This record gives sequence, structure tokens and C-alpha cells, in this order.
Amino acid sequence: MLRRLGCLRPAASFLLVGTETALSRALVKTIPLQSRWRDLAPVAVLVALCILITAFSPNFLSISNFIGLLNSSAIPMVLCMGATFIILMGSIDLSVEGIVAVSAVLVSLLVENDTTSYSIGLLAVPVAILVGGAMGFLNGFLHVKLKTPSFMTTLGVGFAGIGIATTVLGGFTARISDQSVRFLSLGRVLGLPVAAWIACGAVLLSLLVQERTRLGRWLYAIGADEITAGYAGIPIEKTRILIFTVAGLFYGLAGVMSVAQFGQGHALIAQGRLFTTVTAVVVGGTALSGGVGSVLNSVIGVFIVTILANGMILMGVPPYVQQGVQGLLIIVAVTLALDRTRLDVVK
Amino acid sequence: MSDKSILASWTSRRSFLQGGAGLAAVGSLGLSFASPAIAKETTWTLANSLRSLANPYHATFAKGGAEFAKSIDATYVTLVTEGNSEKGISDIKALLQRTGGKLILNVDPNDSPDARVIVDEVQKSGGYVVTQWNKPNDLHPWDHNPNYVAHMSFDGVPAAKALAKELFKAFGGEGGVVAIGGILSNVPAIERKAGLDQAIAESAGKVTLLDFQPADWNGQKAFDVTQAWLTRFGGKIKGVFAANDDMGLGALEALRQASLAGKVPVVGLDGIAGAVKAVEAGEFAATVAWDPLWTGGMGLAIPYAAATGKIDIAKEPKEHREFYGTSIMVTKDSAAAFKSGGSKLNFSDLWGKDTGQIQYRG
Repeated sequence: MLRRLGCLRPAASFLLVGTETALSRALVKTIPLQSRWRDLAPVAVLVALCILITAFSPNFLSISNFIGLLNSSAIPMVLCMGATFIILMGSIDLSVEGIVAVSAVLVSLLVENDTTSYSIGLLAVPVAILVGGAMGFLNGFLHVKLKTPSFMTTLGVGFAGIGIATTVLGGFTARISDQSVRFLSLGRVLGLPVAAWIACGAVLLSLLVQERTRLGRWLYAIGADEITAGYAGIPIEKTRILIFTVAGLFYGLAGVMSVAQFGQGHALIAQGRLFTTVTAVVVGGTALSGGVGSVLNSVIGVFIVTILANGMILMGVPPYVQQGVQGLLIIVAVTLALDRTRLDVVK
Repeated sequence: MSDKSILASWTSRRSFLQGGAGLAAVGSLGLSFASPAIAKETTWTLANSLRSLANPYHATFAKGGAEFAKSIDATYVTLVTEGNSEKGISDIKALLQRTGGKLILNVDPNDSPDARVIVDEVQKSGGYVVTQWNKPNDLHPWDHNPNYVAHMSFDGVPAAKALAKELFKAFGGEGGVVAIGGILSNVPAIERKAGLDQAIAESAGKVTLLDFQPADWNGQKAFDVTQAWLTRFGGKIKGVFAANDDMGLGALEALRQASLAGKVPVVGLDGIAGAVKAVEAGEFAATVAWDPLWTGGMGLAIPYAAATGKIDIAKEPKEHREFYGTSIMVTKDSAAAFKSGGSKLNFSDLWGKDTGQIQYRG
């Protein structure tokens, strides 16, 4: 509350913030040097990381590793597109693993598989994405209408999702034999994995929403200062519900991609994804306090996180040390990207 | 304030009735499972306590318990800890209270120290308990006669060693392997790594360990690790050893992305259905099954025999009180037999699959 009161500004400035991206802002000369550095910090971290890894392991730059990295980044990338919007709005979404699980289990049971007799092929893809969207809508609806914090609401919906997925399969795994769905991960188009193309599409779509729609501008305004945004006539409740729904759609898509990658669906398929997602968004330079950041930042963030994990194995860093390095890098990246001028209170 | 109105609606009579109707529906669902066929067991309630029904091992474990309960037509309950020791213990206490101590419990404690608390509680109220996998080394069933009936486990060292040898055989016995481990501090993870190390040592330099990485029992992490290994070692990788099947399947999918599935053999432990299928397809060289159906069923059958006086547990030898079960090596040749024969349980042969008294190492 203190923070919000401390930074009340004319509403017009928030509408301007919404039109800026990390890159365009970096090019504007009127912005102080410190701020430009901040915007480029995640890119600098990424470049430094790549140079460091290549010095130890020239294999890093090989085409096969590049394709491997694209494969590893595809699912986190799609998840991050949804999560970035929510974090920009100043909320948090902890339902990632639950929604992915429901979507994945649904897809695995609707295509040719060893548990049910359904076989609707690629038609299962939109169904699963829509179910993800419905769960996202539930997140937003409960959060806005019951005025429960997004932290608890999404945690609850996430647990419910894992519960539904567990109940449906009774704890077992459905293995799929539908090759059209597996193509979404194993296939190659123009030499690149199909999953990478899907992730690329997700990024472009998010960028479009962020840059070219009112929704994109509103979510920046809400994230920067919800009260003022309300005075400016922005439909806050509607925007919040819509953004949670959009995020759910992305998680649903990630569920489909998980099934395509592993050839199976089960309740724990997304275990560990939540941590990677939030880390990538924050390391990319999007502030958890809302209003600052961009989907492009998250693209950089996802690459930092996946390249770091890949690079430590390439360099032969002992497993005991890896987690320590990961923790250290998160702190360094957040420190470099943080906008301290907007912080009145640190919680 | 909207908070107040929510509270009001929760306590309103209509929503209370709706909640009641929901509970009744859930209750009737539970009742539909009971089938009166055999002489009904009315004194003792049976329960399995395990980590989560979301993994195949424990789901099968629970099924084994339900099958035994059905064979004597007793009330059967599955308690789930969700990886939370306190929840596990308080659920058991509540069930002891509800059954007035007439409880036969088969528990896979969430963490070793939990076993002591659980055994104490069961002994205090006069129930009977069998523990699985985790317990402190100085806690023994024979010190808590007759209520602490037995402790069952599986020896990970020889199983992992035999499995590793099966892997080496699959690629011709010479070359490099990579190994994916479980959570570093877990006893099964340590045992399985030790078994692999022994097998490598016995190969007299023919097999080398290129790298070892823990993937915390998680298939997703194993996928990413394997992908990085393929870049780092390329064709030097002749085989992949995974400390459980889930991670093995993750590694297999990474190999598939590189068109190496079936060319670079993988092994895992636990014997889950997906791994058995991969064995049949020639993509896994082998997996080791722990027989959770047997564990879940016999962990209740043995204490039931003690509780009803069929055996005098205090007079049974130590190898009947703390013992290893039989692990099953599933290879391409034995996969079909494993799938058809794995589900038969003989509840009167109490120690038929006992393979010796538990050893405490270092």
C-alpha cells in the first residue's frame, strides 16, 4: 500500500509506458544511461554466459547443441509468455503445473493411446488449449470476484488441477501412439524442431498482444498502479480475468507440447516447471512488482536459464555446485535488471 | 467489505446443505466399492499409508492393499502423506483413534524418523504395523513385540549392479556410460549409485563412467541432462543408466530426438508400465521391478496373520521380521512373462518372496 501511495502519478504516463518495449526504450536517447543499461542487462548476462561456456566447451556452438537448446527452451518459452503478462500486471500465477497436467492428461487420453479408445488426433490440441484457458479463467474469476490474492487462488487452482489429473489416471501414465501429435515435438520443419516453431509463434502472438492491443497497454497500467489505472477508466476486473485466461491458454498449449515431447501424459508431467517459469521471467528483467518488463525480456530470460543448465553439464560442473551457481546467477541478473528508482518499500 | 459477505454465504444454511449433499455423494461412491462375498472381517480396519497416488509405484501399492482387504472382506483405507511427514503421522493418529486401535497398518514412512513415531503410536493403542523402505537403523520390530510386526525393503545395491551388467551386455561390454541419479541424499539413490559403481569396477576398465548427474527422480530433468550429454560426449555414449524408470524414459525421449532411440540402450529401476513397454520395444535394455502389488498386499497380510493369532510373531526369526523382498529383472526375454504373472498374489505364503535379512551398510 505504501508503495502504491508513494508513486501516484498522472494516469497518462502509464499509457505511455505500455507502448514501450525493452529494446525501443534502450534506443531512446532521452532516457538516462542507468536505465538503458538496466534494459540491456539481461542481454549482457546472456552474451557473457555464452562466451564463458564456449571458452570451456567449443561444442556449445555446434548446430546439434543449438537445436537441442531450442528443444529444451520451447516449453518454458510458451509457459513464460503466459506468466509474463500476469507478472507485468503485478500478480503471480502458481497454477502452471496444475493446468499443464490437466491439459496433458486430456490430450494423452483423447489421441490414440493405451488407456482409452478415443483417437481424435490433432483435434485434441484445441480442446486441451481451451481447457487450459477455462482453468485460467477460473483463476482470474475467483481472484477478482472473491478478492482473494492471486498467490493463493492460483495455488489452489493448481493443486486442484494436479488432483484432477491424478484422479483421472489413477496415478498411472497414458502412453500415446498418435504420430501426428508426436510430430509436434519430433518433427522438423526447415531443419528446426516443430516445437521451436510453435514457441516462436507464441512469442510473436504475445508481442502482438503486448504492443498492438489495448489489453497490452492496460496490463502495464494496472501493474504500475492499479488505483490510478482505475481512475483512468481502465476496466480492471475484466482485464485481469482476460489476462489469466490468456495465460491459461498458453499453459494448455504447453501441456500439449509436453505430451508430444514425452509420448505420455501423467499428473506429474510438469513437475519443476513453475520454478523455471518464474525464474526465467524474473531473470529476464520483468519486475515481480508489476508494470516493468516485456515478453521480449522473458525470451532472453528463458534462454539464460536453459543455456545455464545446458552449459554447466557441458563444462562438467559438479552436480553439487550447479544449484549454487544457479542461485547466484538469479541474484546477479535480478540485481542488474532492477529499477531501484521505483522502489519505495522492498518486501 | 466483501470478505464479510463471503463468510456469510459460507455459513448460510443453503450452502451448508449443498456441502452436505456433496459429502453424501462422495460417501456413496465409497460404499459402492464394498462387495459382500467372503466372511466379513469386522474387527480390524486395514490401511496403507504412502506418499502419493500420482505415481505408478504407490498407485499399484494401494491396489495390492485393496486386493488383500477384498480377500477377507475388511474395511480398507489408503492414507496419503503428499510428501508431508506431519500429515502422514496425524492421519495415522486420527485413524487409530477412530478404530479404537483395531488398526492394521502398512506404512511407507515419508522420512526415516517418522517410523519411530508411528510405531510408538500404534503400539500404544494396540494396533499392528509393518514399515516399508524407510526407518532408523536402530529401530527393530523385535524390540516392539508384538505390535511392530515387520520391516520390508528391497536391496538396491545388488539390483542396480545386476541391472548395470545387463546394460553393459546390451552394448557389447566396452565403452562409456552416463548415469542419472535420484535425489542425492535418498537411501535408494545412494544404493543404486553404489551398485552401478560396483559393476563398473568389475568391468576392469572396459566400461567407463563419462558423467553422473542427479535429476531428482524427475523425467523432465533427465531429458534436459541427456540432451546436453549428447552434445558433450556425442557418440562416446554407449549406454544410459537411470536410477529410476521415469528418468530413464525422459532420457529415452532425448535420445529419440537425436534419432538414437533403440541404438543407445537405457536401463532404469521400478518396473513401471512405460519402461516394460520400452523393454519390449528394444529401447530399454532392462528394468528392475519391486513388485509394489505384493508389498502393498503382504504388508497387510503378515500383520493380519499376527493380529488374528494365525502366527506368533514374537517367535518368528529375525529374517522374517526385517527382510528384503524379491526384485524382478525384466528383460526383453522375460517381459511377456512378467506382464502376465506379475499380478498373482498368494496371501497365505507370507514369506515366499523374502530374500534374506536386511543388511546395514556403513
